[in-house]
Amino acid sequence: MKLKHFLHNRTALAGLTITTLFLLAVFFGPMLSKWSSNQHDFMNALQPPSWAHPFGTDSLGRDVITRVLEGARISLLISVSGVFAAMVFGITAGLYSGFHGGWMDVIVMRVVDLLFAFPAFVLALFLMVALGYGVTNVALAIMLVYLPIFARITRNMTETVRNDAYVQAAQVMGQGTPRILFREILPNISAPILVQATIAVAFGIVIESGLSFIGLGVQPPTPSLGVIMADGQEYFRRSPWVLTLSGLSVTVALLGLNLLGDGIRDLSDPRLKVRE
Amino acid sequence: MPSSLKYFLTRLSGSLVTMLVGTIVVFLVMKAAPGDPALIVLGDYATDETVAAFNRKHGLDAPLMAQYLDWLGGLVRFDFGQSLSVSAGENIGDLLLYRLPNTIFVGVYAILIAVTLSLVLGTLAALNRGTTVDTSATSLAVLGVSMPDFWFGYMLILGLSIGLGWFPSYGFTPPSDSLAGAFYSGFLPALAIAAPMAAVFTRTLRTALIENLDREHVMVAKAMGHSGRFRFLHHVFRNSLIPYITVVGLQIRYLLGGVVIIERIFGINGVGSLMVEAAFARDFFVVQACAVVFLGIVLAVNYVVDLICAMLDPRRVR
Repeated sequence: MKLKHFLHNRTALAGLTITTLFLLAVFFGPMLSKWSSNQHDFMNALQPPSWAHPFGTDSLGRDVITRVLEGARISLLISVSGVFAAMVFGITAGLYSGFHGGWMDVIVMRVVDLLFAFPAFVLALFLMVALGYGVTNVALAIMLVYLPIFARITRNMTETVRNDAYVQAAQVMGQGTPRILFREILPNISAPILVQATIAVAFGIVIESGLSFIGLGVQPPTPSLGVIMADGQEYFRRSPWVLTLSGLSVTVALLGLNLLGDGIRDLSDPRLKVRE
Repeated sequence: MPSSLKYFLTRLSGSLVTMLVGTIVVFLVMKAAPGDPALIVLGDYATDETVAAFNRKHGLDAPLMAQYLDWLGGLVRFDFGQSLSVSAGENIGDLLLYRLPNTIFVGVYAILIAVTLSLVLGTLAALNRGTTVDTSATSLAVLGVSMPDFWFGYMLILGLSIGLGWFPSYGFTPPSDSLAGAFYSGFLPALAIAAPMAAVFTRTLRTALIENLDREHVMVAKAMGHSGRFRFLHHVFRNSLIPYITVVGLQIRYLLGGVVIIERIFGINGVGSLMVEAAFARDFFVVQACAVVFLGIVLAVNYVVDLICAMLDPRRVR
């Protein structure tokens, strides 16, 4: 996948631009802001959006845009670490079971089927009850939601390439199994995994904000996107901007990630590109 | 045995095994969860005697294996035991029987909306490939997947309920009370759940239709003089249904996940809101019952989807 092709794909470019802007805003925004995310100012509670407070203020007079940027940092961190853990375990399990087949394949795929049979959010909710609330456990829940997806994709892709010439060549050269799996096979099947990873990070943010929104995820005062939206929901009728604008920011961020995933898929699957 | 019957039975036994393993996992995870059910109900200052009496009453003093088998035996008879705290003392089976129809109603309603929207948008986009219609439909679809469903629910409340006053913002008339009322009061929640699904369905249908439009047998049908409408319905649409229905089935996971939050926001007495209430009350028995019910629904729906796909494409059966 060449950079030139990437820049010529409108979807990929739009996705990359939005995602980059989002990341820049999240990492540098709070530094540039005059306010801090937990700075109370009761004289200015529930102010509608203005130049001083582009997203308005919440019931404690805190600047909402600063909170959203800081919350996005936390939500993104939770989602990325959950998805990363899911990738590590899912890809490893998928590579081995797809390459060797046999009883291990059967067991891995049974576990995957089982995790797949739970509605994603129900699984996450169930784990929150079992593990307790908090940042780490939300990440764990995201990991368990995504583990089966990575395992299944990796396994199926591995199965299709395991008899390819370059794999056989590596075997003839006497390379060990881990080396063949991670150095030969993985780079060749990475595109669909990468697509899934961007979408997973996007949906991980939805899981985090959903859990925190109903009060079963990240707990206040830690500002995650879900916590901020839950705040806004309490006084939604009086001052709808807190929930509206924080949710809109989430939507834009997810739009970026989804477009980026779509773009990578178009580029990595030439068959699709002809059709566009 | 005919191969189709064998296929259905193999798939059925696969689902039942998954269900069985699922109940074991749910049971063990709940057992390992922090917190003693007795102390949750009786409070931290309960005496050892009252705790022992409580455990005896609920069979919690039996060995783990016996507890599981007892619970499993109950599941088969739709007997989930008694609620601990969320609706203390009430039979969980009764709670579920009262709430399940509401969840199923909203879920099916959402699917109907999502399927209708996606059939229109997906077909329009595929038939007008590369035009503004296509671009708008595809953009709408990407936007649809990017919105958190609960946030979209609040935006619907803001626009259609607070703003225009067309729909109630909270509360749900159960279909058993009034079917029309259920359709009316369930519209916003169903639409909120449907939006991301409609987006995924639209994309799937569009891709499948485009793929089939270019296939040789469609060209042959054209050469044979079949009309455009006939070609589309019999050669393109029918062949696109398999990936479409497969994706509809896969989305059940996300649908039921969405139901959990949306039920809570719109005040629908369903299994999802029950699970959240039970989570807050740390009512382990109700939480595990809800988890098993959701698991059962997903497996049942996936099974039906497999049967439909097998009927559409008999090659799968062999």
